[in-house]
Amino acid sequence: MNPVEVNPVDVNPVEVARHALRGVLDPELGVDIVALGLVYDVRVDGDTLVVDMTLTTPGCPVSQSLPGQARAAVAAVLGDMPVDVRIVWDPPWTPDYVEPEARRQLGLR
Amino acid sequence: MTGPVSVPVTISGDGPGEGPPTPPADVPLTFLVAAGVGLVLGGVAVALAADRAVQWPGHPGVVSATHTVMLGFLTIGVLGALHQFGPVVAGRRLRSVAVARMTALLLIPGVWVLASGFAHSPSWMVRAGGTMTFVGVLLAAWNLSGPLATRGADITVWGLRCSVALLVATAAFGIVYAFDRTHGWFPLLQNRVMAHAHLGLLGWLGLTYVAVAEKLWPMFLLAHRPSARSGTVAVACLAAGAPLLTVGLLFSRPLALIGGTIVGIGLAAHLTSLGGVLRHRQRRLGLLHAFVITGALALLTAAVLALVGGLAPLDAVDRPRVVAAEIASLSAWLGLAVIGHAHKIVPFIRWTTLFERGKAQRPDGTPLLFEDLYSGPAAVGTFVLCSTGFAAVIVGLLVSSSTIIVLGGLAVSVGGAIAVVNLATGVRLATRGASEAVPVSNPLSRAGSMT
Repeated sequence: MNPVEVNPVDVNPVEVARHALRGVLDPELGVDIVALGLVYDVRVDGDTLVVDMTLTTPGCPVSQSLPGQARAAVAAVLGDMPVDVRIVWDPPWTPDYVEPEARRQLGLR
Repeated sequence: MTGPVSVPVTISGDGPGEGPPTPPADVPLTFLVAAGVGLVLGGVAVALAADRAVQWPGHPGVVSATHTVMLGFLTIGVLGALHQFGPVVAGRRLRSVAVARMTALLLIPGVWVLASGFAHSPSWMVRAGGTMTFVGVLLAAWNLSGPLATRGADITVWGLRCSVALLVATAAFGIVYAFDRTHGWFPLLQNRVMAHAHLGLLGWLGLTYVAVAEKLWPMFLLAHRPSARSGTVAVACLAAGAPLLTVGLLFSRPLALIGGTIVGIGLAAHLTSLGGVLRHRQRRLGLLHAFVITGALALLTAAVLALVGGLAPLDAVDRPRVVAAEIASLSAWLGLAVIGHAHKIVPFIRWTTLFERGKAQRPDGTPLLFEDLYSGPAAVGTFVLCSTGFAAVIVGLLVSSSTIIVLGGLAVSVGGAIAVVNLATGVRLATRGASEAVPVSNPLSRAGSMT
């Protein structure tokens, strides 16, 4: 269960980061943020890994903790590579972004 | 997912110089724990005042019980939630955490001195408790004005601005009344108690709930409505109608009718908004929604009783009884909402604290969720006891049965006690045996499960 340090030269850091983000759960819904469709984009910009993510709604109570969790999870697997997690509101999140398996888990209609 | 295009609007650098806008957990939790105690003692106070409530709803013992519920439970609970929610929704901090703590230090004992003063009649206690409460309210309003001064305010922030202003108005009304009882500055108006109660219940507590619901309901139910116009109408009408109703009850019946009509439109819009959220919800209904929907039924009951009490040709015995039941129904609406949302707010605050300490894990190492932080069956017990308890108090007042009121008050009290214990001990039960040596930098160890 210990985090794995990945050399970004050897492994695609975007894929590694996306995998790590699967470990970040929304504590209200119990579903990871990738499955919820909250992660809009993961890319390398210069020497920095950039994550664009959103929240279910502006003013969401977990707005303080989820980005920090995402950053911590990605940083833990990317070694010294700088990580920048950005909150974006456009386009606004809708339940349509939730992955099918997560939809079933949440009982979404 | 259809591959949305990312356009950054707000950048979260998560850098070392940034901190969360919310105050330390002890600030909202102090208020919320005190509110839980207020609910327990409020139920007992209602039971103790039951005999007098069916004879004369204006009896000092009944006034004491009413203030215990209104201030000791509802106002302190809502202020605790606002000290957490205001900074989150506005993205701005309170003006001062120290003042927030001072507010609790003044307000909580002040409320109990005031309620004791009403019950046991020494006027100095009423004046002292009233002054402490009033100063506490002023401090809270000043502090909350920091986050609520945010630019680009939405309808929730606008509603909260108005409701906090009306809280100050309610407290000012109360303190003037408290001193006038002994100083006789001016003749006491006939409907002063009713006017004061409606200003507090509708202008302060009701408007706060209506405004906050516009943010929380869609979020909790993942409901994306095509329009939130009904919520805007609800906030605007309550903000405008509650003061008119209050002034009208004091001085002018036509004005009271106009204010009451505007409030009625606002509350109907609020219920329409609830219906819209339920219709467009994506998630299954949960316990919170049982509290919310049952509370909405209490609001409908209050509306009917208000119409009967305000317009029907009742005698001097029946009208106070109906009005007392209406006040109890409004209290039930708000009380159930506060208790239900406390089962969301308190776990969130406790979870955030655990997360910051790197302890947001279950004993098996998997991530801790909000629902782990309290017992579901115990929460259902709270719901059943409190909803039936409030209903019994309303029915008891209507049929003049002190026995039913006693049972109702005690049921609310026991339900409140279960909620307090449940929410207070949930963290210990959920994390018992969990490793305490988890690094904060990787709070969710599943992130490394790719090995």
